[in-house]
Amino acid sequence: MEKILEMASSRAEEAELYRVRSQTKEVGFQADKLKSVESAFEDGVGLRVIKNQRIGFSSLTDLSDPQDLINSALESAKFGQEARFNLPHPGRIPSPQCYNSQVISLKTHQMVEEGERTIELILKEAPNFKCEGGAEKTEIEVMIMNSRGLSFSFKKTTYALSFYAFLAKEGDFLGVQEGEASSKYEDWSSSVARRITEAIRLSRKKSKINPGRYPAIFTPRAVPLLLQSLKIGINGKTVQKKASPLLDKLGTRIVSPCINITDDPLFSFGLATAPLDGEGIPSRRTQIIKEGVLKNFIYDLQTAGLMETESTANGARGYDSLPSPSTSNFILTAGDVSFKEMVKDIKEGIIVDQVIGSGQSNTLMGEFSVNLDLGYKVEKGRIVGRLKDIMVSGNAYTMFNQVATLGSELRWIGATRTPGIYFKEINVAG
Amino acid sequence: MKAYLTSCLEKARADYIEIRYEEIRVVEIHYVGKELEAIGESSEKGGAIRAKIKGGWSFVSFNDIDKLKYYLRLAVDEASLIKKGKIKLAPVPPLDRKVSIQVQKDPRQISLEEKYLLCSRYNQILLSSKQIQTSDLKYADVRIIKYFLNSDGTYIEQERIDTVLGMTAIARRGDNIQSAREGIGGVGGYELVEGREKEAEKAVRRAEDLLDAEPATGGRYTVIVDPKLSGVFAHEAFGHLSEADFLYENRRMQKIMRLGRVFGSSRLNIIDEPKIKGEGGYYLYDDEGVEAQKTYLIKEGKLVGRLHSRETAARMGEHPTGNARAISYEYPPIVRMSNTYIAPGNKSLEEMIAEVEEGIYAKGFRGGQTNLEMFTFSPEEGYLIQKGKLGKKLRDLNLTGNIFTTLSNIEDIGNDLVFFTGPGGCGKGAQSPLPVSTGGPHLKIRDVVVGGR
Repeated sequence: MEKILEMASSRAEEAELYRVRSQTKEVGFQADKLKSVESAFEDGVGLRVIKNQRIGFSSLTDLSDPQDLINSALESAKFGQEARFNLPHPGRIPSPQCYNSQVISLKTHQMVEEGERTIELILKEAPNFKCEGGAEKTEIEVMIMNSRGLSFSFKKTTYALSFYAFLAKEGDFLGVQEGEASSKYEDWSSSVARRITEAIRLSRKKSKINPGRYPAIFTPRAVPLLLQSLKIGINGKTVQKKASPLLDKLGTRIVSPCINITDDPLFSFGLATAPLDGEGIPSRRTQIIKEGVLKNFIYDLQTAGLMETESTANGARGYDSLPSPSTSNFILTAGDVSFKEMVKDIKEGIIVDQVIGSGQSNTLMGEFSVNLDLGYKVEKGRIVGRLKDIMVSGNAYTMFNQVATLGSELRWIGATRTPGIYFKEINVAG
Repeated sequence: MKAYLTSCLEKARADYIEIRYEEIRVVEIHYVGKELEAIGESSEKGGAIRAKIKGGWSFVSFNDIDKLKYYLRLAVDEASLIKKGKIKLAPVPPLDRKVSIQVQKDPRQISLEEKYLLCSRYNQILLSSKQIQTSDLKYADVRIIKYFLNSDGTYIEQERIDTVLGMTAIARRGDNIQSAREGIGGVGGYELVEGREKEAEKAVRRAEDLLDAEPATGGRYTVIVDPKLSGVFAHEAFGHLSEADFLYENRRMQKIMRLGRVFGSSRLNIIDEPKIKGEGGYYLYDDEGVEAQKTYLIKEGKLVGRLHSRETAARMGEHPTGNARAISYEYPPIVRMSNTYIAPGNKSLEEMIAEVEEGIYAKGFRGGQTNLEMFTFSPEEGYLIQKGKLGKKLRDLNLTGNIFTTLSNIEDIGNDLVFFTGPGGCGKGAQSPLPVSTGGPHLKIRDVVVGGR
């Protein structure tokens, strides 16, 4: 690595190597039985150079031919964007918790047992269902070094358990997907099984709803459907291209005052937790929304340079791509209303849990229009049955401005930590 | 390569074992607005082993081929962890093949500068109008050599070149932001992406026009879909349900998807056909070393076939169809579509529109998804049809339906058949995007739920 960096540095103004090595172990279940054991060993290197003030990049997996990598990166720099940044010097790098030795020592047979336990718990409640899914653990080593003397590596672990329970009846399919993932090991078999069987139980009765506008509770699992628009809107790149609907909204109230969101790569054992971002900027928290007011956009080095501001340590990348702004752990704060109380408050309305067709609308503008894959009808404060064959639609920005209450229970959905949210209104077609 | 792989494989002890290895070179150019976000060439080499012992599979993927013997031992060890049951594979004749690809203009013979100039020219067109806020242009040429060797005695070496171009124009007026996209290319050379100025202009015009479109009003409509959408319809509304890995271990699903079941009118035919040259889903041999073939899924309205891997075919007592595909060496082959289309009928678009009292003409596509019972797909734009005439332009429509009823709600099948491919592709499980093409004629479908305001 040092040698390659030296060779590249001698032919360019600046150079940076980014290497990702990972080992993954996965046990897979199909039709209620263990079906596969998978391992992956990945190793790849990306080289970024600045030559004649222009950015060049190339990547490879076969380190025996570094000359090819250097030549390709320099060739790329003939045409690349003008660099508006300098690579970072070594700085004070925090040590957030993202490595867990329990993940490393976890044996394949333990993962198998955890999967078997999950299936057993699901089938006990719902014997007609077929289960598929599995457990996966990963160990990642990231190495970054640049021509300004930065040389840092860190290790990271992840562990995930996810299952899908499916029942096909003529004219009535029901599939429930549930999972948990984190940077540390936890036995999630009972919580995953409980969530799945709970959804199956609530779906036993069928319900109907007339087209119209209704109050709606989004479970934590459904909230990312709405957050995706916001994530695009606060992305420095969208802002720099003047395509963000939030372009001139810094410092103004864009959503209900109960909404607080922080981008937090330091959060202990989050999926996106890391000591530094993909270009060596020490991780730090960025307040995105405070009491409904838009506080910050997120940036990598180049986008920040173009906007004459600073990187927020959000340069995300794989070994095979240039950094680009992306959220890390996206943390919402909880409210003080339990799920039960939210349901109790609704005379006639819906609960949105699982959808299909997400991201197919004009997401940039906040529009969404999805088929309700798993959702329920609420009547007079009670969940009365499953709703299907309907479309729910609306605008994420409008809805976040009409939040009735925030749930009191937070849940990780990937790298997003969110409560359930009770909205005043959603459009139902069917 | 053959000798090395063979010598390593010889020592591995399993019921069945296969090695895949891929050498990939990618040239990529990405414009967003005026800025070139990425340009250059990268390479990737990697392989995978799949081994079967009794009732279980192991799968090991890697970048470092020098450790192949170690990975093979690991694959055999891990496959033997699963002791219950027995997996059978449908027999296929052993093959020894070397497939090279002929393209008119090999992208490797074109300099990076020439590609850069072509993309810059298209990007300038995308940005040429005042109402255009930004653009997104992605060019890629990918050359892959795939090596495949298995313990049944098959060895296949396949070369593949894909050249693709995606061009998106994003128009803005105040808070109203609209985009339109043109996707071009597939399996083939540089000739696929040359001379595409008109497509860039089309994307600009459509994005601008969408600024004046009105959001659709939700409800049930008779909908005429254009070939771009009818292809996605074939893919989402039926194709996925035909993938036998959803059926082979689920008796209830098999009962629902019994051969002979009537899904639509006798004019309806849905086909999966990998060997259509130039299309995104083109291949001769799948990632299990099985020769590709044309498969009728629906013939004259009846379910007549499905897509298989060797394992699903054996389990269901049917013939393998050569549909086991992996997006790359990092993944095991699973049952996938290739080029999936609805065969044309005899109605013209004009006739169809003239017969609609009130409905929607939906065009272009942004995406689609299915959960095997319901599907969604979203057009880029639409027009209200009133009393047989096209009316005002609509945006933000998203269509949904039930697979089992919607196919029988197809009232008319157009006389045109157009295929679409380009960048992107299909996602299933963790594997996305897989290059596929979708195709079809214009279709008139009654009772489609449209999500809207």
